[in-house]
Order: sequence, then structure tokens, then C-alpha cells
Amino acid sequence: MSRTILVVDDSPTVVKFVSFSLKNKGFNVVTACDGMDAVEKISNMSEKVDLVITDLNMPNLDGYGLIDTLRHNDEFANTPIMILTSEEDEEDKQKGIQVGASSYLVKPFKPALLVQEVEKYIKN
Amino acid sequence: MSEVINLQDKIKAELLDISGTINKIVDSYKSLHSPLVESQENVPKATQQLDKISEQTAAATHRMLDTAELITPREDEVIAGLNKIKEIVQNNETTGVIELCDALAQKASDNNNDAFVIMDALQFQDITSQQIDHAVVLLEELEVKLSKILSALNSEGEETPAPKMPSKKQRAYDPHADLFDKKTNQNDIDSLFAKK
Repeated sequence: MSRTILVVDDSPTVVKFVSFSLKNKGFNVVTACDGMDAVEKISNMSEKVDLVITDLNMPNLDGYGLIDTLRHNDEFANTPIMILTSEEDEEDKQKGIQVGASSYLVKPFKPALLVQEVEKYIKN
Repeated sequence: MSEVINLQDKIKAELLDISGTINKIVDSYKSLHSPLVESQENVPKATQQLDKISEQTAAATHRMLDTAELITPREDEVIAGLNKIKEIVQNNETTGVIELCDALAQKASDNNNDAFVIMDALQFQDITSQQIDHAVVLLEELEVKLSKILSALNSEGEETPAPKMPSKKQRAYDPHADLFDKKTNQNDIDSLFAKK
């Protein structure tokens, strides 16, 4: 059975690119356009989310807010959460660690690197 | 009596001087007011134009992504089909066909890899979109400032009508987004996160 990955980004291009890269490796991908949309999707989903990939700068609820919300939910306390962002300041990475992100990937990224990072946590 | 006439002449000269100064101030105000009004009209146009660039770039990119998405499953089918032919031909010992099949399979595999290269390159849209958003926000700030200047320059004491501002969309962007000039590599980041 395919593992499910939730991809959260307000850029449709990034969502499409990440989804394509992961689907090509057999992962099941669910997408959301911002943190708020992600929380809504998760609450209406019947299947388990095995990994979350999120952008940082998003309207409504940003990546930090989303990670914080998920980490306060028992179901997501141990779910791997990867940050995928064009922000690469030390401060952003430290903040990512503080809110409970598992890893951090900087845009633009190579599809192979994305898959490699994902497969550190889950494999089909 | 002559003193009174002299005083009147002096007052007249002073009044003429003040009148000349006021005319110069009015001219200066007109020359200042005109470009400001022009800027207030042009800046929203620039904002709309930048938004259009962002939308058109996004539409073009999505079209290319959709096309690339059609190519790769076809390539997988070609690779699988060629491997099947290879199996059949192996039994009949047809000279050169196996090598040809291998070459075709390699080409199909290369095409698959190239499709990923294209998609990788298309990430420019996300980055340039963020850069454009940043520029738009700067222009919107300038627009607000110009409106304030115009209000302040309204010397006739009339109430200045509220400036016509285009509705602003919510923008979330990284002001430092860049395709190149990356400061860190993934191994450094992974090490940082491994220490937590």
C-alpha cells in the first residue's frame, strides 16, 4: 500500500512539481494551498498521513503555524514534517527546529534530493 | 504729505514683490503636483502589469508541466515494450535487434531523465513570482506614500477625496527568493537538524 504525503504550498507550480516527483516514486500525494487548507484537509481525511512537506511563507496560516498546530495534535506528534522553502537564513532553520520540523529543504531543489530526503523517513 | 506718498509707494512695491513670490510658489506647486498625479496613475498600472506577468508565467509553466507529465508514462511504456521485444527476439537469434532494443531503451530512459531536468528548471516560476510579489509590494507602498503627499499638498483647504486604490491581494513571499546564490548545502542543513 502506498504511503501518503501531504504537500502544502501556496505556489501551484511547486505543488505540481513536488507531487509529480513523489507520485513518480509511487507515493500517494494529497495537496493543500496553505496551512489552514492543510488543517481542514487533514480533519476530513480518512487515510493516515505518513509525512508532511510544507512551505513557510503562506497566507492564512504559515508553515511555522501549521507545524505548531500539527505537533499539538497527538496523531501528528511523531509524523515527519519537512520544510520546503526559499528562505535559507540561519534564523529560519533554528525556528524550524524549535517548532518541531524534522528536516529542511531549500528551493530550488533537485527532485532526486527531495525523494532522498523523503525516503529517510518513509519508504513504499 | 510727501512722506505718506513715499510710504504708499513702498507698500505698493512690497505688495508687488509678495505677489511675484506667490506666483512663483504657485508655479512650483503646479510643477510638483503634475508628476505626482501622473505617478499616482502610473504606479497602479505597473502593479497590474507585474501581476499579469506573474499570472502569465504561471499559466505557461503549468502547461509545460502538464506536457512533461504526459511524456514520462509514455516513456515507461516504451521501455517495458522494448524489454518484451528483447525477450522474444532472444529466442529467435535475430542479429543486431537486441542491441537496437538496448539503444532504444537507453534513449527512452534518457528522455525520462530530461523531462525531470525540464521540470527542475521550471522552478524559476515560483522564485520569479516571489520576486515580482516583492516588487509589487514595494510599488504599493510607494503608491500609498504618493497619495499622502498629494493630500498634504492640497493647499486650498479642501477635503482631498480618498485615492483610488486597486484592491490588493494577499501576498506571502520570501523577499530573498533567488534561483542562484544559495548559501548552504543540504548536508549542512541535515547536520543542523540532526543535532536537535
